[in-house]
Amino acid sequence: MRVSYEWLKEMVDLPDDPQDLVAEFVRTGTEVEGVEDTGASLKNVVTGHVLEAVPHPDSDHMKVCTVDVGARNTDADGNPVPLQIVCGAPNMRTGLNVAVAMIGAVLPGDFEIKKSKLRGVESCGMCCSGRELGLDNDHSGIMELPEGVEPGQDFAQWAGIGDTVIDCEMTPNRPDCLSMTGVAVEVSAMLDEDTHFDLPKIAEEQGTPTADLVDVRIDDPVLCPRYTARVVRGVKIGPSPDWLAKRVMAAGARAINNVVDVTNHVMFLTGQPLHAFDLGKLTEVDGKRHIVVRAARDGEVLTTLDGQERTLTSENTVISDGDDRAVALAGVMGGLNSEIDENTVDVLLESAAFNSGNISRTSRMLDLMSEASIRYERVVDPNGCASVSDIAAALFESCCGATVCPGMVDAYPAPAAAPKMGFRPDRARLIGGAPIEDDFMASRLERLGCTVVRTSEQSWDVTAPTNRPDLTREIDLIEEVVRLYGEGDIEPTLPAARNHAGGLTPDQQRMRTIGATMRACGLSETSTYCFADPRDLERLGMPDEGKGVPVKIIRPLVADQSEMRRDLIPGLLRAVAFNKDHGVANVHLYEIGRVLYGRPNKSLPKEPTYVAGVLSGRWDDDAWNAKYHKLDFFDAKGVVEQLLATLRITKVKYKPADPEHYGWLQPGRAAEVIAQNQTIGWIGNIHPTSLERFGVSDAVVAFELSVDTLLKLATKQLPYQDVPTLPGVDVDLAIVVDESVTYEMLVQRITSAGGKLLKDVRLFDVYRDPVRVGAGKKSMAFSLTYRADDRTLTSEEVEKAHAKLVTKVMKSTGGEVRS
Amino acid sequence: MALSEDLKAIEAQVVEGVKGVQDMKALEDLRIQVLGKKGQLTALMRMMGKIPAEERPAMGQLANTVRANVETAIKQRKLELGREVLAKKMAAEAADVTLPGRTLSLGTQHLITQIREEIEDIFCGLGYIVADGPYVETTWYNFTALNAPADHPSRSARDSFYVVDNAPEGKEPLVLGDSDVLLRTQTSGMQVHFMEQNKPPIYMICPGTVFRPDTADANHLPQFNQVEGLVVDEGITFGDLKGTLDYFTREIFGKDRATRYRPHFFPFTEPSCEVDVSCGVCHGKGCRFCKNTGWLEILGCGMVDPNVLENCGIDSEKYTGFAFGIGVERVAALRYDLPDLRMLMEGDMRFLRQF
Repeated sequence: MRVSYEWLKEMVDLPDDPQDLVAEFVRTGTEVEGVEDTGASLKNVVTGHVLEAVPHPDSDHMKVCTVDVGARNTDADGNPVPLQIVCGAPNMRTGLNVAVAMIGAVLPGDFEIKKSKLRGVESCGMCCSGRELGLDNDHSGIMELPEGVEPGQDFAQWAGIGDTVIDCEMTPNRPDCLSMTGVAVEVSAMLDEDTHFDLPKIAEEQGTPTADLVDVRIDDPVLCPRYTARVVRGVKIGPSPDWLAKRVMAAGARAINNVVDVTNHVMFLTGQPLHAFDLGKLTEVDGKRHIVVRAARDGEVLTTLDGQERTLTSENTVISDGDDRAVALAGVMGGLNSEIDENTVDVLLESAAFNSGNISRTSRMLDLMSEASIRYERVVDPNGCASVSDIAAALFESCCGATVCPGMVDAYPAPAAAPKMGFRPDRARLIGGAPIEDDFMASRLERLGCTVVRTSEQSWDVTAPTNRPDLTREIDLIEEVVRLYGEGDIEPTLPAARNHAGGLTPDQQRMRTIGATMRACGLSETSTYCFADPRDLERLGMPDEGKGVPVKIIRPLVADQSEMRRDLIPGLLRAVAFNKDHGVANVHLYEIGRVLYGRPNKSLPKEPTYVAGVLSGRWDDDAWNAKYHKLDFFDAKGVVEQLLATLRITKVKYKPADPEHYGWLQPGRAAEVIAQNQTIGWIGNIHPTSLERFGVSDAVVAFELSVDTLLKLATKQLPYQDVPTLPGVDVDLAIVVDESVTYEMLVQRITSAGGKLLKDVRLFDVYRDPVRVGAGKKSMAFSLTYRADDRTLTSEEVEKAHAKLVTKVMKSTGGEVRS
Repeated sequence: MALSEDLKAIEAQVVEGVKGVQDMKALEDLRIQVLGKKGQLTALMRMMGKIPAEERPAMGQLANTVRANVETAIKQRKLELGREVLAKKMAAEAADVTLPGRTLSLGTQHLITQIREEIEDIFCGLGYIVADGPYVETTWYNFTALNAPADHPSRSARDSFYVVDNAPEGKEPLVLGDSDVLLRTQTSGMQVHFMEQNKPPIYMICPGTVFRPDTADANHLPQFNQVEGLVVDEGITFGDLKGTLDYFTREIFGKDRATRYRPHFFPFTEPSCEVDVSCGVCHGKGCRFCKNTGWLEILGCGMVDPNVLENCGIDSEKYTGFAFGIGVERVAALRYDLPDLRMLMEGDMRFLRQF
């Protein structure tokens, strides 16, 4: 809403500086988008007095003029110096008062005034015509200002075309402020000043009563609570008077002709959209025009004023005439078939209220917004229709030479009652947390147009004006009081939070631990989109078994984000590809995020959380004192082991992943992570074929674990174990076994064969050599620690236990001791 | 008095001699030579029995003094030599300490998570709990229960991502939007979930990802993060809202920052307002960063609308409350003056490792 300061000033007393009003707007909740000085475009245009105009030595029609611009041009000592200006206007003469565009002025059309020479004579500015100043169309000569005008004044200011327009963003609950009168009321409450409205009145009604010319039928009062029609006759279409054109332009519209400008002006003034039909273009039946407000028919076609042919549905509302022909799209835009044109003589003026939701849907559906639809969308007060129609009729009378037919036709089946509500001043003070005085509350509510009856100390009866649909409950009034009091003036306090304990739950703390462990292991956190490409899983080679059905977005922004992700890996692979494409070779990322598993026959999906990581390249580039290996399966496994240990998850197993079910992983480099017989997730090299489909050429090792399962298996504490006080004995043992014997099997055999004295088994080498170890075999070297809790072991005891272990292990694994 | 002469000579020889000794080995040799079983001093001590008894005490005393002095001299020299050896060893080990250290770099936490956790910690410190809610919501939780009218523009498919409802039967006819199910456009729905499941006093925040159909560009992401806050208790005032958010703002942006409360409109709070923090670049004077206003908008908040409380079965006469919503990306962008929000979603290690 563009608020003209000059216009507003006529309705309510304002501070001298518009910035002071802007501050008040902001303080009380009207957002200011911008402040614009409309006269500012005529900067450096001043009033001038032609001291002398003599013929140009080298030109028949040009004159060399000496123009007094007062103190706007001075010598070094600050004494006024007249300007020399060459001018070709026929009406230029000595003694004339003119508008002078000085050097630096920028006239409409981006015409910048510069010092120049005209046929060898220097010219320091330009005397302007009305057209050059963008004021009118007169270019027959320069503009002649009245006698006695003091030279050197700012022209815009002198001409009264200087104005400040405050562009306000009105919140959707305040339709009343989409009008100058509404803003004036708001400002009067804000500044505690009286309003003084001086609205135009009809001078004389004459001729056939409107009721004999028009009838109105509303099919559905829900679509149209009120429709008033008035007829004015004998309009003389022409340009609007200056004041009217200026008002319309200040509000941001174009001045078109007096009839259209009147309807626009009254809408900006009151917030009530009006529509003027050419009465002659409406079909006459039985000597009358028959206005019907009805739902459009599916497929009904109407060409709107913008020339667009619109195909309507029964969701739209139209105004139709006696022929049942649509002549306007109700509340949005008029029809071309009943448009006002230069031949219009009689006008049917509509001032109506339409259903806000219906207009809003129509406007969106047709992608057609108008000043009218913006206002109807936010609710127009049906109680205002008639008086606004009178204002417009009065202006038709005064600005268009029209005569106003007596009375109006007013279809208003169920007049809206002003809402009444109780108001407790103490409640306002409680919610506001501020000692707002009773008198302040009552007076400000009254300024807003409420009627306040102080029935008792505790409770008042308040009636709100019907143009404030946001005022129906006590809390609505409290909001008004609090914002006018000033939220900035309310003392800040902290609530006591009695009987309430806060903090993170153990699971929330563990979620943080998961992230912290990832970072301690060298992975950095990333965030990827929860949207997915429907082909993601297939591209990865990951079956969607157990992942429900995709949650599909009905209107996605882009096709590759048309459903919700069911796995974190595709997004992370895209991040790997992004890094590699940008020359970042070493990538270690993790994400803790949700995936969405849709459920057939259920509206809402499951939303489990996973933690996933991707490693590619090395931990770092080689340094002067450190070399780094290419990251492989065991780096990822190390991260997972660290995480499970930190969460104190016990009985963990790593099972080779079955390639049948883990198609996205490289066979032989993939494991399932299991703890306490529950599958937590997997670790593995992403299959080279899958990588290729995601545009990654480097090896990537990844893991993905169910956070929900991790949290379920995590334990707060494990039992304390005595720290050994007695020395242990370390014995190394290298065993040559078939490749088929896994580390896990071997450790299990060793542990069970070692008995009570074997305290620790640590693998320190795996060695393969077809000659020294044998083909299809490997040597695994362990360091075994023997220790008793109650005594220092003798070497005999250790030897005996170790010999027994060796025999048992070799027998059960078919291995040999490597010497 | 040959013996006493000899003793003194040995003392003088050792005290002088140790000065020339340059290594531990030579010093040990000297010690053995004088004090060892076959050493010179040991030999002289053995002769003690052969001197007259009346001279013996004085001579004994002298011998002991000499022995002590000799031992001290050697010990002294040994300490000195030890220090020299250590000094040499250390000199040999001296390094260019400006060389980089040896470490495995820790990973970094995503900027948004850092800020989210910082916000969580601030409110946990004020006695709040942290709640979590679903990404996919029904229109009831996302809009209706929050007092948004059936035709509120935010419900339109332009402002919300609706998803296919796999169980559409028996739903209310839609006024705006494509379905009854959508990706939550705000974390405010958690207010309702939480109030349905918990009775006052309520002091809760709910951080979470939300979705809106804004094409990703420098200033928009279709997926971003909010932290919702909700307090419902007896006697909660607008002053409590201000005190809480003032505290929050100073904790997150710094003690020197001022706040400004501008009344605003949200369907689910009344009175509502937007909160600005004074610009950290110009401190309120106006600059490019704050678009010459001196203020930066950081959050929306208000007193919980009684309709919302009643929708959740809470007596709005007995209890009042406030709610607020903080944009996490907004805080990040303001703190770091990020040129492009899309960097938050690309996973570029060079970006992530800065924080």
